[in-house]
Amino acid sequence: MKLRIKFSKIGVLKYIGHLDLMRYFQKAFRRTDIRVKYSTGFSPHMIMSFAQALGVGVESEGEYFDVEVEDGQDVSLMKDKLNAQMAEGITVLEVTVLPEKAGNAMASVAAATYEIEFVDGNPLNEEVISKFKTLDDIPFTKTTKTGEHTFNIKDFVYEIDYLNKGFSFCCDCSSAGNLKPKFLVDTLLNMMELNPEDYLFHILRKDLFLRNSKGELVPLNCVE
Amino acid sequence: MRELALPESVLMSVSKPERYIGHEINSVIKDKNKVDIRFAMCFPDVYEIGMSHLGIQILYDMFNSFEDTWCERVYSPWPDLDKIMREKNIPLFGLESQEPIKNLDFLGITIQYEMCYTNILQVLELGGIPLLSTERTWEDPIVIGGGPCTYNPEPLADFFDMFYIGEGETRYRELLDVYKASRAAGDSREEFLHKAARIPGMYVPSMIDVTYKEDGTVDSFIPKYDDVPKTVLKEIVKDMDNTYYPEKPVVPFIKITQDRITLEIQRGCIRGCRFCQAGQIYRPVRERSVDYLLDKAVKLLNNTGHEEITLSSLSSSDYSGLNELLNKLIEECNNKKVNIALPSLRIDRFSLDVMNKIQDIKKSSLTFAPEAGSQRMRNIINKGLTEEDIINGATMAFKGGWTKVKLYFMLGLPFETEEDIKGIADLSNLICATFYDTVPKEERVNGHVQVVTSTSFFIPKPFTPFQWARMNTSEEFIDKAEHTKRYIMGELNQKHIKYNWHEADVSLLEGVFARGDRKLSKVILNAYKRGCIFDAWSEFYKNEEWLKAFDEEGIDTNFYTTRERYEDEVFPWDFISCGVTKAHLLREWHKAKEEKVTPNCQKQCSGCGALSFECGICVN
Repeated sequence: MKLRIKFSKIGVLKYIGHLDLMRYFQKAFRRTDIRVKYSTGFSPHMIMSFAQALGVGVESEGEYFDVEVEDGQDVSLMKDKLNAQMAEGITVLEVTVLPEKAGNAMASVAAATYEIEFVDGNPLNEEVISKFKTLDDIPFTKTTKTGEHTFNIKDFVYEIDYLNKGFSFCCDCSSAGNLKPKFLVDTLLNMMELNPEDYLFHILRKDLFLRNSKGELVPLNCVE
Repeated sequence: MRELALPESVLMSVSKPERYIGHEINSVIKDKNKVDIRFAMCFPDVYEIGMSHLGIQILYDMFNSFEDTWCERVYSPWPDLDKIMREKNIPLFGLESQEPIKNLDFLGITIQYEMCYTNILQVLELGGIPLLSTERTWEDPIVIGGGPCTYNPEPLADFFDMFYIGEGETRYRELLDVYKASRAAGDSREEFLHKAARIPGMYVPSMIDVTYKEDGTVDSFIPKYDDVPKTVLKEIVKDMDNTYYPEKPVVPFIKITQDRITLEIQRGCIRGCRFCQAGQIYRPVRERSVDYLLDKAVKLLNNTGHEEITLSSLSSSDYSGLNELLNKLIEECNNKKVNIALPSLRIDRFSLDVMNKIQDIKKSSLTFAPEAGSQRMRNIINKGLTEEDIINGATMAFKGGWTKVKLYFMLGLPFETEEDIKGIADLSNLICATFYDTVPKEERVNGHVQVVTSTSFFIPKPFTPFQWARMNTSEEFIDKAEHTKRYIMGELNQKHIKYNWHEADVSLLEGVFARGDRKLSKVILNAYKRGCIFDAWSEFYKNEEWLKAFDEEGIDTNFYTTRERYEDEVFPWDFISCGVTKAHLLREWHKAKEEKVTPNCQKQCSGCGALSFECGICVN
């Protein structure tokens, strides 16, 4: 039986890295009586796969991973069993049984929603958000190991809205086109002719989405 | 959720911020207004090392089982954070409360190895606590040391208010009660320390004066008050089934050095190897019962979710219930897909069977610790392992499919000759030859055998028969390592022997502090002020600065290392008793010279003195 687990990760636990988070959930399962399936082979491990990794320092209200468990267990009890084993800051929100042929969490992710909160007041205004919406081409240059790459950031941003504390947006989060939230923050600050290095901000991932057969973005556990 | 001591900007700029945020599963949070005593328990090294230590897990559990006490953990901030904390004046904090440790009642520091001494000063300084005991007031916690290095605490005497000698489970309750009464009565710090010095196992350096002879050795120990004991006898748990043992240890978020459950099956060792301090100071051997251990194992697995459990002891093969324990544990662990790790096992038919059972497919390397290359030298060190034992063990292992063997030796042992050094190469070669004699060509898994031979440099330790021994100079060490290398190169199977040896500089320092006296406190302080911290980490070890510190303080390291000691010399640690008498150690030193072995405690009592504790193997 394949399950998709939705959880939140907030507060000081945002400093837990992705690999450590996987180990954390493996140990959490071992503290419950939920029987997880193991891979076969030389070093058996729990059959578990996470959706798009969350960066260290980023909080989230909508994270997901898939896990295979032995058949015949009462799924309705699992959320409470897991929550009894969570550290303060991580909460299991929903446990959904996946259809047999569902794609895995990682491959299914199409988009993510975020909220950005500036620590010392919002340096952005509604005009810059409107301007962002109207422009067709906003180049952004990122530096990677292979050199500088310039792309049109508009291709990756699906929605954007002004908030008193900062802004919210929906963007591409697929394995092929994942947009780093910081790139968008830097772009907007640059458009205001402000230096991105001067501004501290918090990132909150609100949810992850898949694209259903009608082409709509729906939360990752709304599997058809 | 508690506010963190470090701001986000700092946490995002250091490596592994998870070291500093607390909040781990099973960490204990109490209401600070509802406890009387707050205890900071510190391992002065990085989080991953400190969190792996069983002793702290036991004491953390014990302290927190006291309703009036809240114990939290403290580790050395890694150099990247150390720098930031100094720049920004951020005081060192406890992981649980995230509050400065200066606000707490006690700072307990476990002292596991000599190379952490400067980190102790780092913890004190970052904590805003005066480095010298004499400069502290009731504004500061009581700084108390424990652990193996406190069997000679003298080099650290200036920095600690007191030391707890022996096993922590027995006397802390009494100490906390004396502390509470003392604070309620409005005692001065000195009055409290005076009362504390009367509790068995407690050593308060400021309550004992040391005088020296003209040659620099100790003349006498003079207690400041008549009621302060002249000798501090180590504390010991007599019934290992009726004591504190954690059932819910803290589960770290990050992978730590020993990322598994540690099940301590027994304490002490029957063997009496003459170089080994642990074999003497933890006497007598005391076992925990199989039932006790199984009960703990099940609870520990359920409460942590760890994937591995390790049986811990100085010599697991000597545990009388090993077969029964393993059979039951394997059953329990297979159900939960938990690995069992078995270090410190003698290689014989039984252990190979066990390893076959618990490690099914993966044949990792096998480890032998002959410690010396020749039988003559193994007799000198009283290592009851013969060449026949090793070859038999290796033969069985090769037949069972193992192809990798690790061998551990020491260089610089007392009475060492060139023949003993050559013996290391010969034994390594013989093991290779055994492989080719045992395994027919067509059955050789990787085609050949792989032997990894490692040597470390022998450092004489207090409370061992070799405490009288002269330590080699760095030049002698390096020379001996080069000879070993040359001998190995000359062996028939040299292609399949890999040789490793340790640096000699750090060994020198360890040797100085192991048998050091109070005069060394100023050297440690000097080296620390020169920027020495994390000396146990080769990337941070600053040998030049240490040499300058010795020089500036007018200390000749040879006095502590290469000097020949008189048999009737008073050692700096002679006011401490670990139960084993100095007369017994001297007898053993003489027997070493005569190349005579002493039977282990199982076979025959050697009258070491540990019988006075009336427990463990001495009475059973």
